[in-house]
Amino acid sequence: MAVTGLIFAAFVLVHMIGNLKVYQGAEHFNAYAVWLRTLLEPLFPYEGVLWALRIVLIVCLVGHVGGAAMLVARARRARGPFRRRRLPMRSFLARTMPVTGVVLLLFVIFHLLDLTTGTRPAASASFEHGTVDTSHAYENLIASFQRPEVALFYILAMVVLGMHLAHGLWTATHDLGATSHRLRAIAVAVSGILAIAIMLGNISIPVAVLLGVVQ
Amino acid sequence: MRLTLKIWRQRSGDDVGGFESYELDGAGAEFTLLEALDKLNDTIVAGGGEPVAFDSDCREGVCGSCGVTVDGVPHGPVANTPSCRQHLRSFPDGGTVTLEPFRSAAYPVVKDLVVDRSALDRVIEAGGFVSIDAGTAPDADSHQASHETVEAALDFAACIGCGACVAACPNGSANLFTGSKLVHLSLLPTTQEERGKRAGAMIGAMEEEFGPCSVYGECVQVCPAGIPLAAIAGLNKEKLRAVLRGKDN
Repeated sequence: MAVTGLIFAAFVLVHMIGNLKVYQGAEHFNAYAVWLRTLLEPLFPYEGVLWALRIVLIVCLVGHVGGAAMLVARARRARGPFRRRRLPMRSFLARTMPVTGVVLLLFVIFHLLDLTTGTRPAASASFEHGTVDTSHAYENLIASFQRPEVALFYILAMVVLGMHLAHGLWTATHDLGATSHRLRAIAVAVSGILAIAIMLGNISIPVAVLLGVVQ
Repeated sequence: MRLTLKIWRQRSGDDVGGFESYELDGAGAEFTLLEALDKLNDTIVAGGGEPVAFDSDCREGVCGSCGVTVDGVPHGPVANTPSCRQHLRSFPDGGTVTLEPFRSAAYPVVKDLVVDRSALDRVIEAGGFVSIDAGTAPDADSHQASHETVEAALDFAACIGCGACVAACPNGSANLFTGSKLVHLSLLPTTQEERGKRAGAMIGAMEEEFGPCSVYGECVQVCPAGIPLAAIAGLNKEKLRAVLRGKDN
């Protein structure tokens, strides 16, 4: 789970950096979307690298969810009939990992239907598919976030992502055996900063769309 | 002071068990939790009843025998303190205190507040020892180890094996316990010969009876020996090292 989780963390970081290109305007954002499909052409075919990355992510998803299911099952068996109650807030993030995980899974499904496959009603009414050398990613994103309920769900999902990432990165630090004081101090800081940065970076986009800053 | 003690009574492992309330009068705030139970038992025995069974030995926090769950927290309200060092001054006069055994599927109840913690022994039996002949005490200079290394080994060797970490864990994990043993033994010269084999064996035994770690951090709050969360990272480090090297040492 640590390895697949870290791959997801790297993905959401790169994804957020890509998302922030929305502030550079439609042309730049759409060119980035086209570039993702033509990446490393002609060495790889059209969408080749994109699909390779998608397959890596799908494999990670299966591993991560499978690992989580096994973990929950083992934990239930091991703790016995008397579970600990009234746990203090300090373990809130750890306790909510399965919940935040399920919310994120649901969000990913919605997000793909909304902005990748353009399946209505998840996608906006004006969703348009790209062609080989054009993309409507910018327009699709704006149209999607102009629906307040979608923007709100996105913001909520990003808060949940921040929570899941903060504890997930810290747990991965343990799973990968970081014992030294210095490394652990760095890991605490990186977990928190990365989680908050990704959360706020992404949340800024629907807020900007709703405020009319990005049109 | 006056306290109402809600105590888990269970005649044997096969019995269902349940809470019973007792009034404890005239106990001092300086009484430890176990002294309060002693006092209560005196009253129960005088009245012809069956005393409340609980584990205890040294009563000074070094043996790891005692352990009850107090108001849902293993050992009691004061962090990093064994049951025998928890005092009644932590509770409000006239209040109610709930006492039950350490809760975990790996700890079957023997009687009342006594649980069977042999599952921890089975983890130790799997590899928590040195099987090479170390002979008599060697010359002080023959085994070179830095002061820092020895201090670190001692920090992890501080585990008294009370098993509160398992009871505190919402996953019923023994990673803090096993991690402290593995890190302690991985640092010293003579014990390194079996480092890889030990990690595989102890972690294998642990995973058979205990749950997985999700880094709740509840264990380090109750640990009377103050074992740090780094022990869990240490356990995974030993596991990764053993898997990647595939050697006994």
